Amino acid sequence: MSEQIKISIQHLYKIFGDDPEMALEHVKNGVGKTELLAEYGHVLGLQDINVDMVAGEITVIMGLSGSGKSTLIRHLNRLIDPTSGQVLVDGDDVISYDEESLRRLRRQQMSMVFQKFALLPHRTVVENAAMPLVVRGEDKESAVQEGSKWLERVGLQGNDHQHPHQLSGGMQQRVGIARALTSNSDIMLMDEAFSALDPLIRTDMQDLLLELQQELHKTIVFITHDLDEALKLADHLVILKDGYTVQQGEPQEILLHPNDPYIVDFISDINRARVLRVRSIMEPKTEAIEGPVAGDIDGNDNLESVIAASEGDTSLNYRVVSRGEQIGVLHMQDLVKALVPTSAAEGGVRGKV
Amino acid sequence: MATYDFIFDGLGLRGWCGEKTGGTMGMEELLARNSGETRSLWELPFPSLDNLHDACPAIAQTRGLTSGLESGFLGIKDALKVVVDPITQPLSWFLSGALSIFQTVPWFVMIPILLGIVYIASKSTRLVGMVASFILFLAFIDHYDYAMQTLAIIFVCSLICVLLGVPIGIAMSRSDGLQRGVIPVLDMLQTLPPFVYLIPLIFLFSVTEPKLYGIAIILYAIVPVIRLTDLGIRLVDTDVIEAADAYGMTDRQKLYGVQIPLALPNIMAGVNQTIMMSLAMVVIASLVSAPGLGVLVLRGIRNLELGVGLISGLGIVLLAIILDRVTKAALARVNTAQQ
Repeated sequence: MSEQIKISIQHLYKIFGDDPEMALEHVKNGVGKTELLAEYGHVLGLQDINVDMVAGEITVIMGLSGSGKSTLIRHLNRLIDPTSGQVLVDGDDVISYDEESLRRLRRQQMSMVFQKFALLPHRTVVENAAMPLVVRGEDKESAVQEGSKWLERVGLQGNDHQHPHQLSGGMQQRVGIARALTSNSDIMLMDEAFSALDPLIRTDMQDLLLELQQELHKTIVFITHDLDEALKLADHLVILKDGYTVQQGEPQEILLHPNDPYIVDFISDINRARVLRVRSIMEPKTEAIEGPVAGDIDGNDNLESVIAASEGDTSLNYRVVSRGEQIGVLHMQDLVKALVPTSAAEGGVRGKV
Repeated sequence: MATYDFIFDGLGLRGWCGEKTGGTMGMEELLARNSGETRSLWELPFPSLDNLHDACPAIAQTRGLTSGLESGFLGIKDALKVVVDPITQPLSWFLSGALSIFQTVPWFVMIPILLGIVYIASKSTRLVGMVASFILFLAFIDHYDYAMQTLAIIFVCSLICVLLGVPIGIAMSRSDGLQRGVIPVLDMLQTLPPFVYLIPLIFLFSVTEPKLYGIAIILYAIVPVIRLTDLGIRLVDTDVIEAADAYGMTDRQKLYGVQIPLALPNIMAGVNQTIMMSLAMVVIASLVSAPGLGVLVLRGIRNLELGVGLISGLGIVLLAIILDRVTKAALARVNTAQQ
């Protein structure tokens, strides 16, 4: 599959305050976030963000509150205008768009799912789902039909004529997703879409999203503050802190090679056996293996399932296959070592406790 | 000898002040002179225009301020009338039209129409029954015509209030500058005693013209609908507005598809207040020839006819209950449709 860049964010800065241009100069000269606020009264929202998002993949932007992740996603459809920088969508600079082309972008190319659902309370569920098409000026009847189709796809049959307030949170967010899908845009922006839901429903919704993605191959930009969620969904993970990118890359890579104490702190708590996959810790090797082989496992299996299969025996070796071909060998000893987290950073938040 | 003579003498302004005319002497001054007492410090009068005038005739008296205002108004009156008269003329037509329609349609047609409107607005047969009993009671005690005149005036004035007030409210919700400018005007309209606007209006228009009381009622009653439209639109959930933007709604789509529908409960509450305030004003407006139950109230006061006053007051209460319940029932229906 060719890696076609769908969205490219380049040197994006956002400064909140009365005179962002002046503050931008200071930031480029190396003034930090706290200093900028204390001395110049400006808030540094985003600082030199560079992210490429590949078409058909899920890019997860993760950070704690105040890290600028919601600000960043709103730059993609220009709900917020940047102080400086470029956002290229299919090679076109969105920042230079006039009102008309911006509206076209929002109507045709990008849809958005919100943390608080943001459904229209006075419209029925199906009218909400059909909203993007009605906004474009399409015929109401066919729009409603399309909306109804997607509602069914996200598992909401028979609620078409209820109002949003009659549904539970999880169901409302399904409507929010159906609305985004009805717009039939290539890009879906999801702003903490599952954060307001309770844990079981959240897991359901994550599974639903992955299942839909298998079939639809949208370019999804997903914002979250939850690392487990980020690792589950991400093809590409971007970690933000105080408005700058701490690290970005493949989630497995970040997990095994964190480059910042902040990230070490972050990942020290997660269940590594569930998140890490065989292909990240195997020894890549295509020639035949000498010695006994306990069996074949898939490169995308997580370690938990391998541990279950081995019944805890650490002396075994497994052949790792992908699409019927051997791609490597997994030594159970390596697996056990990989389960030990990189020790919590001394300078990090946890180091102090 | 006036109290503040010393200031002008001390500053050497006596010449500028001019000679005191003997003039008429106030009663107080006369008393003071007769008793021969000099004033103690306790009685030092505030250096107001009138007191300074006593000491120095070149300073105007306070009377000059009010009479100056009056002559100023009279001066621009003709010019103002040329502009305002044609603009407000349609109001006279609407009011006379509505009055003659409400009065010429026979009662056995009018009452069912009104009850039909009540039913459409409230979808409640109980409320229709209540309204029917009130109107029949008023008709039975021969207050039907008066009540219809009052209703006609309220109908026209409230309608115009809504037609003007909602767009003003929407404009205010979109511009903070406009909001800052309009709110003091609304505060003034709401607190200025209603009799006060009647005075300049009487100068501008003839007392026989219906628009005279029409304008007074509209100025008084338009305030809540403007305020609550502005408030209602500003209170619309910002998340929903963001969603509307994110899906590329135009301003117009956002206004009609999101903001107005979501602000509707507040706007309706404003309409309810506007109707109640026009009912209050229609009584006062009877001072300037507004027909209706207010005329009877006025007669009750003027001739001390206790019974007439009380019964017509009761009639106004009944109308108020009808208008309030019907608009609130309509509001409740809007609310349940949305929540």
